[in-house]
Amino acid sequence: MGWVTRRQLTNLLGALSLVAALAGIAFGLPAFDRALPADRPVPTDRPYVIGGGVTVVPPPGARIDVTETRPTHDAGTVLFRLGPVRYLITVRPFDGNLPAAANRLRRRITGTSGYQVTGTELAVATGTGLAGLQGGYTAPGRGGRYAVFVADGRTIEVTVSGADLDLGRILPAIDASTKTLRYEPERPQ
Amino acid sequence: MTAEPRLRSARSAPVQPGYATGERLMRLPSFWIVIALLVTGGVRMTMIAGRFAGTYPVATTTAIALFALLAVPFWLVVTELDFLEREPLALLVLAFAWGGLVATTVSLPGSAALDDLIAKLGSPHLAADWGAALAGPTVEEISKTLGVVAIVLIARAQVNSVLDGVVYGAMVGLGFQIVEDIVYALGAVALAGRGDHVEPVITTFLLRGFLSGVWSHTLFGALAGAGIGYLVVRADRPWRTRLGVAMLAVLGAWASHVLWNSPLFRDGLGNGALALLAVLVFKGLPPLLLIMVLVRSAHDREADYYADQLAKLGDPELITPAELEVLKSGSRRATARWHARTRAGLRARSAVRRLQRAQARLAVELSRGTPDLGRWCHEVRRQRRILARLGHPEATAPEGKGPWRRTASTVFTTALAIAVLWAAISTLGGG
Repeated sequence: MGWVTRRQLTNLLGALSLVAALAGIAFGLPAFDRALPADRPVPTDRPYVIGGGVTVVPPPGARIDVTETRPTHDAGTVLFRLGPVRYLITVRPFDGNLPAAANRLRRRITGTSGYQVTGTELAVATGTGLAGLQGGYTAPGRGGRYAVFVADGRTIEVTVSGADLDLGRILPAIDASTKTLRYEPERPQ
Repeated sequence: MTAEPRLRSARSAPVQPGYATGERLMRLPSFWIVIALLVTGGVRMTMIAGRFAGTYPVATTTAIALFALLAVPFWLVVTELDFLEREPLALLVLAFAWGGLVATTVSLPGSAALDDLIAKLGSPHLAADWGAALAGPTVEEISKTLGVVAIVLIARAQVNSVLDGVVYGAMVGLGFQIVEDIVYALGAVALAGRGDHVEPVITTFLLRGFLSGVWSHTLFGALAGAGIGYLVVRADRPWRTRLGVAMLAVLGAWASHVLWNSPLFRDGLGNGALALLAVLVFKGLPPLLLIMVLVRSAHDREADYYADQLAKLGDPELITPAELEVLKSGSRRATARWHARTRAGLRARSAVRRLQRAQARLAVELSRGTPDLGRWCHEVRRQRRILARLGHPEATAPEGKGPWRRTASTVFTTALAIAVLWAAISTLGGG
């Protein structure tokens, strides 16, 4: 039987410290993150700035998920949560037309395993006249709705997902909110 | 009586080249723990790559092939940094694998969590502006630096100079950079929503490979590695000093990474390729210059020591006094090779390179106190005979010859690099 040398013991302690540090990053940080709430109340009586010059009036009862909300100068994302329903709006620079934008969003949706686009697309418009296309999709245990608008080199993508029962109850409020999408280009200085 | 001038290596800490790694390594618990971590990281990254490969097979293959090709010149440059005492291939591969498999695996969830925490404890605006600048560098620099610590744990004897720390740190960074770039490229394919197309991969390759490649993780890793090298090697300094320098180096790597990712000057220098190039240089040049100075200083110190070992032999067939001076400097070694080519052809150039390597290896064996140096002396003499047959017996260059050509070559290479950068920026719409 061999002895465990002092050097081996020190070496083992060093290696275990290494593993502990890695575990702290890979598991500790996410655990701490999960321990803190991600949603915040958001005023639903005035426009919310998404980013890239786009605003929307959130639906009543919505709370904002700060982990998936990132407003920047030329783009932005906001995730509203209405109970179990996710209402995500993403603004990105885009140099194509509306059908191309819709096609891109559809491909991304169906690129996720188990997600299928359903039915035909309908033409929709916001209260400020932004023209868009709207459709639906299904996923295991969930349903969803998507809409896409194009404005001045930007695409505004809206995806709503949740259980069918919840969606049926909340969709009218979300539709009303989507109609308030507004794009205001930055005025030249 | 006048005191003999002391070598830089003697004034600081003795250079102690390590013995070849082998069976002793397998008796260390850390070796098996590091292997287990690499396997875990490998499985995780393979699962991620497999998911992309299932949906985007052509894009995945293209991304892996392009970035693997990009790794080759980086690998060659990093391994050449320590010409005199080359690191064992197995440890270089291990360092690369740590960066590509372990550091990436822990950084993915760690960075995302820290970014979320910035949004939760600060605001979504703060996370949007500074999340990438703070979360990524914090998690990634720590996980990469741990890779150099892992090398120290399993092969302490192989980290015997600050330069070794630089090489291992750079190699960890290179592994991280290549795998991260592949993941980014495939993420861009998914985001584009156009199916299995390679354009987003090409764009990412130009953007992250060319524009960000020079001053990316390889550089940050090298800086942090220098700190770990100092911590391990400078046993002559108080413990607090060594730890302080190591922490300063890791902090420097973190700060360089933060500056690179930061939104500073995002719109500050106007539009167009020139403005973008100016921002790239402003953000990337300080750490690049810093690491160049560090490498130069560490290399000179090491060269100083090894040249002294060879000088003690007093055998001009093994190394002449002029060759000793050549061996101490990377640029003089290159000039000697260039001179051999212009005077006696390509075979002479190769023979000079082999002679320089054999002399360096002999110096390392001398430093280790290897009792039988016959094998190493024989190799030096063999290359000397080849050179003599080619009519170029001494691997030196006449004083004053070569530098202007090297300068011209450097200017040309820099101009070419700027042209490539310019083309890449213009292709990406910056112009």
